[in-house]
Amino acid sequence: MEAFKLSLSKLQDYTFLVFDLFKGFISNLKYLQDSFKEMYWIGAKAFRLIFLGGLFVGIILAIETGHQLDLFGAKTLVGRTVALGMVRELGPVITGLLLAARTGAKNASEIGAMQLSEQIDALRAFGTSPIQKLVFPRTLAALVMFLPLTLIADMVGIIGGMVVTKLSLGVDTSFFWHSAINSLRLKDIVVGFTKPIFFGFFISTISCYYGFSTTGGTTGLGRNTINAVVVSSMVVLIIDFIFTKVIWELF
Amino acid sequence: MNIIGLSNIYLTLQGREILKNISLEIPKGNVSVILGPSGAGKSSILKIILGLWKPQSGTVKIGSIDITKLSELEMLPIRKKMGIVFQGNALFDSLTVEENVGYFLSEQNKISQLEMEDRIETALSFVNLSGTNDLFPDQLSGGMKKRVAIARAMVFNPEIILFDEPTTGLDPINAKHILDLIARLREQGTTAVVVTHILNDAVSIGDRLTLINGGTLVESGTVNEMLNSKNEFVKAFFYEVYQDAELLKNC
Repeated sequence: MEAFKLSLSKLQDYTFLVFDLFKGFISNLKYLQDSFKEMYWIGAKAFRLIFLGGLFVGIILAIETGHQLDLFGAKTLVGRTVALGMVRELGPVITGLLLAARTGAKNASEIGAMQLSEQIDALRAFGTSPIQKLVFPRTLAALVMFLPLTLIADMVGIIGGMVVTKLSLGVDTSFFWHSAINSLRLKDIVVGFTKPIFFGFFISTISCYYGFSTTGGTTGLGRNTINAVVVSSMVVLIIDFIFTKVIWELF
Repeated sequence: MNIIGLSNIYLTLQGREILKNISLEIPKGNVSVILGPSGAGKSSILKIILGLWKPQSGTVKIGSIDITKLSELEMLPIRKKMGIVFQGNALFDSLTVEENVGYFLSEQNKISQLEMEDRIETALSFVNLSGTNDLFPDQLSGGMKKRVAIARAMVFNPEIILFDEPTTGLDPINAKHILDLIARLREQGTTAVVVTHILNDAVSIGDRLTLINGGTLVESGTVNEMLNSKNEFVKAFFYEVYQDAELLKNC
């Protein structure tokens, strides 16, 4: 019962944080410069991770499905499977999970360390809203950068899949592309590129919330950083499930 | 004339009673020292004065305004009257000395760049740190960090400066330097509230002393009144001073 109450209390505090974030939207804009710095750290610096993550998922997807489809003489459909898999599901989810770990840990540990060293109190004491100064730039950066990162993961995944399909199954690249491009509908692209926006918002706000709620010294900081990554990752998977379910029900 | 007045303050955090029925008045232009053993609730009083923590009951008056019912936004003009030096300094790691000191000024955005630079230079020279503008906090010694924190607190000429354990962890020479700075601020008419557990510091700079133990106020008065107190806890706490005949003579 106590654990349930604690969870409700945390949910309430998180809701207040999100409410405060939207409430001060206009005055948040004065921290736009901070957002650009965050875009560099959250977005540009994550390029290598997302590139490799997307590439290997695309390659593995192509190998696994290619060998199965080959049994039925349908290896030319690998392009379709890889493209749909990457754009609708694996691209956004892999990007979301990798960024939940990277961005979530960064936000929670940075803000948590600031909380422990009284820097958050100092911000408030000097008349600055920590939500505006710290949460807004990180959330805006995530909203802006998660989309292109997902696009990169999708693209390198499909290209990686194409190369591997050519080398290991001997499927011509033009067949692969033809199959891939023809399989994609507008719906798939909309779904695939809407998810990262939600992922970015929740990963950013959840990890910032865990940073603010840090207590208990370095042990507490470690614990809250783990919680931020775990909860963000779970939320990514839950949002992905909801999206998939809703899209299949509606269309 | 009192510039700060606390009346019947009760504070409970996470089910633990921190302050019990604290009433305290801080005269304008004085150095008031809040003394007590570690964990007595001294720093909590500073956070309540600054409006960072809200007590469960009681009133906190800054001038004639009761701040206990004010929102964060309504607290902004009140906080402009106060500067604080945190126990761990709470300097912003990612900012240089100059940016740390000028943080409040740049946030307010109401003065020209030239005036801001002038004020930062004046504050840094007051604490004897001219020429350190471009250094980062991790390049400074403990004493220097404390002096930067003091410069940051005084740069906007607040009426009140709150000091949380200003000499803790410093060597005797740096500690003396910090105490001299506090005395010089008093000469300029600034009201100082100093929280410390170091008795000699309290006696050497305090116009009024307040002894706190276990969240309750034990006794309050001038140095002489405290030294002549009949209260057993006060006597025990001041035992060190009783032993120091030379210091007694100066009092």
